[in-house]
Amino acid sequence: MKKILFLLILLVFSAGYVHAMEDSVTEDFIPEENTIQKAVMNDEDIVKEKAIIREQTIQGKINDVAFRILNANKIDKRIIFVYDKTEKKSLLKSADDVVKRQVILYENDIKFISNEDELAGYLSRGIIMALKSYGGIWNGSLNAIEVKLAPKIYEIYADKRAVDLMVNAGYHPVGLITYLNKAFPQKRFDMFSNTNLTSKRLATIYEYIYTKYPYYLQNNKYFETDSYQNFLLNSQTNRKLLENKIKNKSQEELKYE
Amino acid sequence: MNKILLLIFYIFIGTSVSAALINDNIVDLILKDKTIERPEIHEVYNYQNMEKLPIRLRIIKRISSEKNIYEGQQILFRVQSSVYYKGNLVVERGTIVNARVETIVKSGMNGIPAGIVLGSFKIGDIPKSKLTDVYELQGQDRSLWVYPLKWALTILPPSGSLTNFIKGGHAKLEEYKTIEIYYYPNWI
Repeated sequence: MKKILFLLILLVFSAGYVHAMEDSVTEDFIPEENTIQKAVMNDEDIVKEKAIIREQTIQGKINDVAFRILNANKIDKRIIFVYDKTEKKSLLKSADDVVKRQVILYENDIKFISNEDELAGYLSRGIIMALKSYGGIWNGSLNAIEVKLAPKIYEIYADKRAVDLMVNAGYHPVGLITYLNKAFPQKRFDMFSNTNLTSKRLATIYEYIYTKYPYYLQNNKYFETDSYQNFLLNSQTNRKLLENKIKNKSQEELKYE
Repeated sequence: MNKILLLIFYIFIGTSVSAALINDNIVDLILKDKTIERPEIHEVYNYQNMEKLPIRLRIIKRISSEKNIYEGQQILFRVQSSVYYKGNLVVERGTIVNARVETIVKSGMNGIPAGIVLGSFKIGDIPKSKLTDVYELQGQDRSLWVYPLKWALTILPPSGSLTNFIKGGHAKLEEYKTIEIYYYPNWI
């Protein structure tokens, strides 16, 4: 009977290990919500103070990651990073990257971010868009307009270059895949849309990492996480296309779905 | 006793099903047994001294975003003039420089130009941290005149939409064109 009980305990622990792998990846850079919940709810000052501390903690973390990316990539242009609790209300607001050269992280975005790699992925994309507005004529004004007028092209460009920035700064580029897989919905078509299908973006990023930084696929700390496993599940057709391309040593551009 | 054994069997099967992972065929079939070095990370830096020296390069074989180009493609440059720092030779004229096509941006509708991002420059023993990271090439930007034309044609619908078919210029680098990247001797 003792042996049976021992076996049961062993099985329960082994089942828990799988989930523990994901927890080890998820770093709690967002202060715990329960610190606010623990506060006496009728004492508004304490709640407000804790909310301010929470915002400052998040802003501090954003700055740490963002400036590490800028410095590691020798980016000598000024870009600022803002944590904003309000929701994005208009399309125009999304132009802040290229118009004001500031990367805004909304509350709605941050809820999908569970570790520094994913945060670095989000910020790196913003940095690339903001940098675009520093080149070209009229002090970058025309480039900023182009980014708004051809968003699909520059969306893919930002995804790819974000991978480069992340790697240079020591972040794991697969974090960008897990973040996008969690945060961006899948549209039915992208023919008449101003954004690409998320599945197409994910496959493009995967191919980019395979081509330039295969080390991170070989040593993929996200492999066992639910988000990455889900990506592997939903990207089988696209990855098959890439597998065939690699086997045939083809250089053609793939048309991902 | 049989019930307990059945329970153990059920838990075991249930656990193994929940722990089943989807394999990544590309990693398993292609990358698994390869020895791949970890990419260089620029974690330590000191930007106190911003002194920089230009290194003039010319590509050995022309590239264009139009055809025969892909991301990750290796390209070669030749150093056009020797570079000295405090009387010491840093790079000799004629040195072959390895580089890579990092990213390609396709040309878009309404004159949006194509682009090529070059990077991973390897010049002798100079560490990557002391060199310019990337050099960007851009094609002819036709949106400057395409958009005014488009807006002017909106009074004659749908002729304004015809400008959608005007693509931006291809990015290219010819053998005779010299580009400059920078060497920062005091960076770490």
